[in-house]
Amino acid sequence: MADSKYITLVSGEGFEFVVLREAALVSPTIKGMLRSQFIEARTGRCTFPEISAHVLEKVVDYFHYWYRTREQEDVPDMEIPPEMCLELLMAAEYFNLDSKNPLRERE
Amino acid sequence: MSKENSEFTPCWDILRGALTDIHNKNASRLSFENLYRASYKIVLRKNGELLYNSVKAFEELWFRNHALPPIAELVSPNLISIALLQLPGSSAHERRETGERFLRGIRSTWEDHNMSMNMVADILMYLERTYVAESRRPSIFAATIGLFRDHILRKDLDRASEQLDRPFIIFDVLIAVVLDLINMERDGDIIDRNLLRQITSMLEALYETDDELENDKLYLTVFEERFLEASRGFYKNECEKLLREGNASAWLRHTQRRLREEQDRCDTSLSILTTDKIASVVEEELIVAKLKEFLAMEGSGMKSMIDNDRHEDLSILYQLISRVDKTKHALKTILQIRVMDLGLEIEQTLKSTDFSAPAAGAEAEDAAEGGEKSKVQPLSAAAQQTAAAIKWVDDVLQLKDKFDTLSKTCFNEDLVLQSAVTKSFAEFINMFNRSSEFVSLFIDDSLKRGLKGKSDEDVEVVLQKAIVLLRYLADRDMFERYHQKHLARRLLHNKSEIHIEKELVRRMRAELGNHFTAKFEGMFKDMELSKDLSENYRDHVRNLGDADAKNIDLGIHVLTTNNWPPEVMGRSAVQEDGGRPDCTFPPAIKRLQESFFKYYLKDRSGRVLTWVASAGSADVKCVFPKVPGKESGPLSKERRYELNVSTYGMIVLELFNDVADGASLSFEEIQAKTNIPAQDLVRTLGSLSIPPKSRVLAKEPMSKNVKATDRFAFNAQFVSKTIKIKAPVISSTSKVEDGDERKETERKNDQTRAHVVDAAVVRIMKQRKELSHTQLTTEVIGQLAGRFKPEIAMIKKRIEDLLVREYLERIEGETAAYRYLA
Repeated sequence: MADSKYITLVSGEGFEFVVLREAALVSPTIKGMLRSQFIEARTGRCTFPEISAHVLEKVVDYFHYWYRTREQEDVPDMEIPPEMCLELLMAAEYFNLDSKNPLRERE
Repeated sequence: MSKENSEFTPCWDILRGALTDIHNKNASRLSFENLYRASYKIVLRKNGELLYNSVKAFEELWFRNHALPPIAELVSPNLISIALLQLPGSSAHERRETGERFLRGIRSTWEDHNMSMNMVADILMYLERTYVAESRRPSIFAATIGLFRDHILRKDLDRASEQLDRPFIIFDVLIAVVLDLINMERDGDIIDRNLLRQITSMLEALYETDDELENDKLYLTVFEERFLEASRGFYKNECEKLLREGNASAWLRHTQRRLREEQDRCDTSLSILTTDKIASVVEEELIVAKLKEFLAMEGSGMKSMIDNDRHEDLSILYQLISRVDKTKHALKTILQIRVMDLGLEIEQTLKSTDFSAPAAGAEAEDAAEGGEKSKVQPLSAAAQQTAAAIKWVDDVLQLKDKFDTLSKTCFNEDLVLQSAVTKSFAEFINMFNRSSEFVSLFIDDSLKRGLKGKSDEDVEVVLQKAIVLLRYLADRDMFERYHQKHLARRLLHNKSEIHIEKELVRRMRAELGNHFTAKFEGMFKDMELSKDLSENYRDHVRNLGDADAKNIDLGIHVLTTNNWPPEVMGRSAVQEDGGRPDCTFPPAIKRLQESFFKYYLKDRSGRVLTWVASAGSADVKCVFPKVPGKESGPLSKERRYELNVSTYGMIVLELFNDVADGASLSFEEIQAKTNIPAQDLVRTLGSLSIPPKSRVLAKEPMSKNVKATDRFAFNAQFVSKTIKIKAPVISSTSKVEDGDERKETERKNDQTRAHVVDAAVVRIMKQRKELSHTQLTTEVIGQLAGRFKPEIAMIKKRIEDLLVREYLERIEGETAAYRYLA
């Protein structure tokens, strides 16, 4: 089965976000999910029961923001509402979105 | 603690179940997110270490219960006796089948394990990122993949150890099987290369420890070492076998094939990490180890390759030797020896050709001289010797062509080899003490005889050959002397094409410098000026309106003494007779000479012109009157011929104008009247009285030689079919010098060299003021290298001479040091 260009991310509430596969692969977590032989790899559908829709939405925003700007320099910061900071930090940890993350650099 | 445990256990249960599913290839129904989240949570609760240890323990258990048993079963007593005991009696086919079955077992276990561990590592990504990074333990992947090494490869099987009577591990079996398969392939069997490649990839992916240091790959630390060792043994045996077979050509091809095979093997079955190492094993065992023996093989070794122009063999040989020795020492040495031997062979052949005609006495004498070639040759053999000289040059050039071809087709025009060969050529050419003369003779022969009607390309070839040979000569001053002599003859007798001569000299100048060709160029200039001079003089005579009945046409060559060889200038005769032989010219000629002399000195007062009768020639119109009493046939009519004779011949013929019909002159009378040197007169009279075609004088008695007691008369009966007759002038053919001539040439050459050395010494001392004897000698040799190799004794003698003449003085208190005296 040829991998589709898009994948679907599902929040705990069941909201679905269709994301460009290449953009989502910035997260080692998603990358690992999609390269093994697990159910996510087969279906192209990743469910995150413990992540709420508004956080996942911001994460998806980040994926696309990263994807758009990945070859540019002096990119302006993404806008983050202060009240979401803590939740987003935890999500970043979960998705292994750490710029110093060796898992990201290895690829 | 219990709280932590209670949080750990449910998550771990999920993971453990998943690990089992992964090993059983049931992963496709598992959710990665679920498993990732389970491990994520465990790590967040600071239970990373526990998770790490639990996973490792799980995997160890799994290995013991599920992975090892099938492998242990494959290590059957049969496999052990085949692989490790190498018991005879098993067919190659059986060994291959058993071995490959074992390897396939290992491969499938490894592939399962590798894939599973990749998946596990993905699930435990968060553990890896946080706990492992902080605790500095090996990554979970390294730790679990390493289990394969510890629990499979390094596993010792008691049952098998008993069979072997020594401890052993599965790894030993694995390597033994792989090496056995490789040897089978070397012997021509087809094996499963892909399987081999997968096994070696496995060994490349495993390390000595879980730290996974680049140089600690099991492939490098264990396998490669044994592979190289086994290969060394294999090729050592093979080399012995090839040596026994005694065919160097087969050896070359075999070695080349082996090198290719091993490279191929590394590309397809092993690892490119080994390519260079196995190549050097093959190089050491098959090339270096017995190189000398192979090269020296009778009938197929290098000598035979060179002699039989086996270019392919030599190409391979060059490639092989280039691999192991950048200086190609072995190849170089044999090449040089071969060049020398073949060069000396040319000389030997020449010697037998040379001495086939003359008396046996000369040969014996020569042998007694220990191969000294410049012995007295009977004059009758002169032509033969000239031919020998040409043959020598041809042979040398042929040899040169041969080695040039080798260099081009086999040795990639290798500079090291080229210069070695060139050196050997120079060496044997210069060991032959007549090389300078022979080279000049070759040029003489080619330009005189060969070039008529030949194309520019042919001329080019000859010129190139001449220059090639010239480059090898060490005693260039000797060559210069010979070339001067031969060139003079060619120019004066109009024997060659002037533009080709000039081209040759131009190339000599480019090769050897101005000083070398100055004299030759002077000669060309003399020739050109003389041509104009002759024409101008002719005009001058015509304008005078001097109606001389006999009207002698004068073509004159005014030669500058220094540019021309002394032989031509008649100076050698001075030494023989103790005085300049001034031959007596007939009055008509004398008038002509005086007239020219007057004309010449009109613009050039103060010059001295000397007539060199020995170098000139003349066209003489002869009238043979009707022979009385003959009414038919050619003798019944008056006959007019034009005779081309040497100047001496002309003088002699003039004498007979005044001799009464039927009267004759004796040799002495002729000599007295003409004052021609006896030797020249013999030749001149010989050419006029012996060959039937130009026998205008009748000799009494009729014989093949001219003696002092002979008498000569006008040959009234002379008949010729052609109007123009050429009396063969013996002296105009360049021939090899006989022993005396040669000694003479060498003596003269040494004289010249003495002056050149003098000049060099003075030049050096003028500049350096003070110098030790050794330094001075070295500098002199250095300065003269382009012209000749001065002998040390000569330099010493010249220095002493200069001391006497007070150009130099000894520095007191120092041994052998000199000071320049201004």
